[in-house]
Amino acid sequence: MAAVVVMAPPARAAQPGVLVTGDNLPTNLDPHQIFDVPMMLYSLNAYDNLYRYQGNPPELKPWLAQSHTVSEDGKTWEFKLRPDAKFHDGSEVTADDVVYSFRRVLALGKAPSGAFKPVLKPDNVTAPDKHTVRFVLDQAYAPFLSAVPIVMIVNPRAVKANESNNDWAATWLASNAAGSGAYKLDASTYRPLERVDLKRNPDHFLGWSDNPKAPETVQILPTRETSTRVLALLQGSVDMTDSYLPTDQVERIQKSKGVHIEKHTSMRVFTLRMNNAKPPLDNVNARKCFAHAFNYDGFIQEILKGYAERNPAPMPNNLWGYPKDVVAYDYDLKKAKAFCDKAKAEGAPINRPIQIHIQSQLEQTNQAAQLLQSDLAQIGINLKIVSDTWANITTNTSKPESTPDLWVHWVSTYFVDPENWVGQMYDSQFHGTWKASAWYKNPKVDELLRKARVTIGQEERKPLYEEATRLIVADSPDIWVYNTVELRGVTDRVKEFRFSPVGSGGEMRSIQLTN
Amino acid sequence: MLRFILRRALLAIPSLFGLLVLTFFMIRVVPADPAAALAGENATPAQVAEIRKQYGFDRPLHEQFVVYLGQVARFEFGESAYSRRPVALDIKQRLPATLELTVSALLIATLLGIPLGTVAAVYHNRWPDTLLRVLSVAGVAVAAFWFAIELQLLFAMDLGWFPLRGRMSSGLSAPPTATGFLLLDSLIAGRLDVFRDALHHLVLPAMTLSLGGIATIARFTRAGVLDTLQKDFVLYERAQGFPSRALIWQFVLKNSVVAAITQIGLLFGSLIAGAVVVETIFDWPGIGFYTVQAILTADYKVMLAVTLLIGVIYAAVNILVDLVHGLIDPRLREQL
Repeated sequence: MAAVVVMAPPARAAQPGVLVTGDNLPTNLDPHQIFDVPMMLYSLNAYDNLYRYQGNPPELKPWLAQSHTVSEDGKTWEFKLRPDAKFHDGSEVTADDVVYSFRRVLALGKAPSGAFKPVLKPDNVTAPDKHTVRFVLDQAYAPFLSAVPIVMIVNPRAVKANESNNDWAATWLASNAAGSGAYKLDASTYRPLERVDLKRNPDHFLGWSDNPKAPETVQILPTRETSTRVLALLQGSVDMTDSYLPTDQVERIQKSKGVHIEKHTSMRVFTLRMNNAKPPLDNVNARKCFAHAFNYDGFIQEILKGYAERNPAPMPNNLWGYPKDVVAYDYDLKKAKAFCDKAKAEGAPINRPIQIHIQSQLEQTNQAAQLLQSDLAQIGINLKIVSDTWANITTNTSKPESTPDLWVHWVSTYFVDPENWVGQMYDSQFHGTWKASAWYKNPKVDELLRKARVTIGQEERKPLYEEATRLIVADSPDIWVYNTVELRGVTDRVKEFRFSPVGSGGEMRSIQLTN
Repeated sequence: MLRFILRRALLAIPSLFGLLVLTFFMIRVVPADPAAALAGENATPAQVAEIRKQYGFDRPLHEQFVVYLGQVARFEFGESAYSRRPVALDIKQRLPATLELTVSALLIATLLGIPLGTVAAVYHNRWPDTLLRVLSVAGVAVAAFWFAIELQLLFAMDLGWFPLRGRMSSGLSAPPTATGFLLLDSLIAGRLDVFRDALHHLVLPAMTLSLGGIATIARFTRAGVLDTLQKDFVLYERAQGFPSRALIWQFVLKNSVVAAITQIGLLFGSLIAGAVVVETIFDWPGIGFYTVQAILTADYKVMLAVTLLIGVIYAAVNILVDLVHGLIDPRLREQL
């Protein structure tokens, strides 16, 4: 070892012009197969979409499209494309390419297609001219525009050349890129889940005159362990961590020189789901008992050290459609006991062991379960914590009998519309999906949510969602805890970090590196 | 010797087949539905059903097993459901990193464990022995997770001697892949800069991984040497005036390490398992972390391929251990 020490190279410092992020990579690189937060970190840089969410609270901005129109019946949407966008191979981005991209998403049928499949047939996406794309929906669908940014536009010339067995080049695009984004994939550096280098695209349609100090290279090098991630940040070999830092690490970063915390209120609601279809939690009083037994302030102030905002309803409190007058369930074990006694008197088997499934990799889900467990124990309820995984839980939520009594998760921003939360969580037509795993059913709520879905115009939809949310909260189908504050460690050489809840601040083109 | 190797290899086949059956059915009885996992977070039940059919998950389990056996016989391990790349390619890119790490850890454990165990036995019940006993209990008991972080804090953060994470500095270009072992490939390509860099990156993870191994080997060596020291031939040689140091290192040790070497074979398996933690903390791009991801996402083709491969490696290492036994112990050589 002495010999190695003698040969020690100089300590690694940050490389000029290279931004290294320790955030996670998606499981593969095809934006039409994967749709989650890691994918957005990659796709918001390597690809463009018709519209894009910018800022916080997120606003929908024209991106590859310059404008759009919608017919009075809410079924026909037309988007005018900007004429100056080019793919990384230099070819122009045209309406045909947009048509191909949407058809590919629908044909692959993976997660990004979920918002479109029920209302859009592939043949109903057409290109009347080179710069116009037309969508004719089967029925009016108000959240359509909010969901349009989900689809990244791919270059069909690059994709088709790599198809095999009519796979829409799903294998090829999983390790390659065919986009037009501000950054260009260096495919030779790609190692699944381990590394990707993105090079600045000098020909991006937005140009770079507003940001001459943009990173030349964005390197995504996921660090798997929180402790290593933070040490790498303190050492300067990583410029950014992810935004799920535990509070002790946040405090450690705050006390250190050369690094700081980017703190932003997001749109991600931490929820303890209850199975409304299985006794005892099919009883509203039993559910209210549980809702009053969770120590909201204790969890937010003690465990999260105040880095979260109480959010007593299913959708984030900073989104339109959130009823400001909603009455929150407070932590009150007397009330909880009274409701449980009532439920018991009504025959709910409240004394049987009740299971709460946690995601073993996510410590916070365990902390929340333990807190609830200790409080419920005081009123004689036996809560058992079961370690589980996302894959397993979401498989089991396809049927009411296999859905856990309770489970813990966040609902992130997939698109910015109440439909992403209350719509897909509490309309009974979504039963069988993980988002609707409360198995909640209220015909009045169904009616309001379905009406909101086909009503065009935010002002008209707003009161519908507000009313639906009030009804849902009154039925207490789940326990809503907080809206996330995202905390990301960043080195001081990184300036102009711009956060949007959609993609968790993953878009890099605004960033300036001081060296 | 060739016959011995062939015989042992043939004997390993039923074990590996058993492993195959066990892992295939165990993975498939776990309630996680690979189709649901594949469809992604926002998929509808209809999308999941479509994917189940497309991938053949709706066919009876025994049919799926027969199809799988055929694929294994043709060395086809299929495509990872997530990376969409051939499982064989993903493994080929990662396995050498894990082997480089585990073999290095094993070397450190052997090179330190055997002398330490011998010294402890020679100084039986005196302070070096007591010290070693304390250290070996600590070595087995200490969590690799904690030890790794302490090493990172001291050697990477405070002293700056070794890198914090990874297998190679990201500013360097990798040498052409010949074997996949970075140390070897860099030497083949004459890239001493990469060799030095890779060696630096290897030190902390290998030290962490070797800790339990050093303790185990030292304890078995100590027990073996203590036992041999009681033998008549040692008494005889001592009576003859044979120099004590030469006696121990030339004769006693050779007669004592059989048990320790058996442990080395067994250790290899636990080191591969332990590599999961070490690879996670040091961002080592090996097979361990890849497999954990596959388990969490129900990527069953990867799970099957990796389990089988580790089974094969484990069987091969144990054949090798038997051969080494034969080389050390002439009584066993006749069996070779």
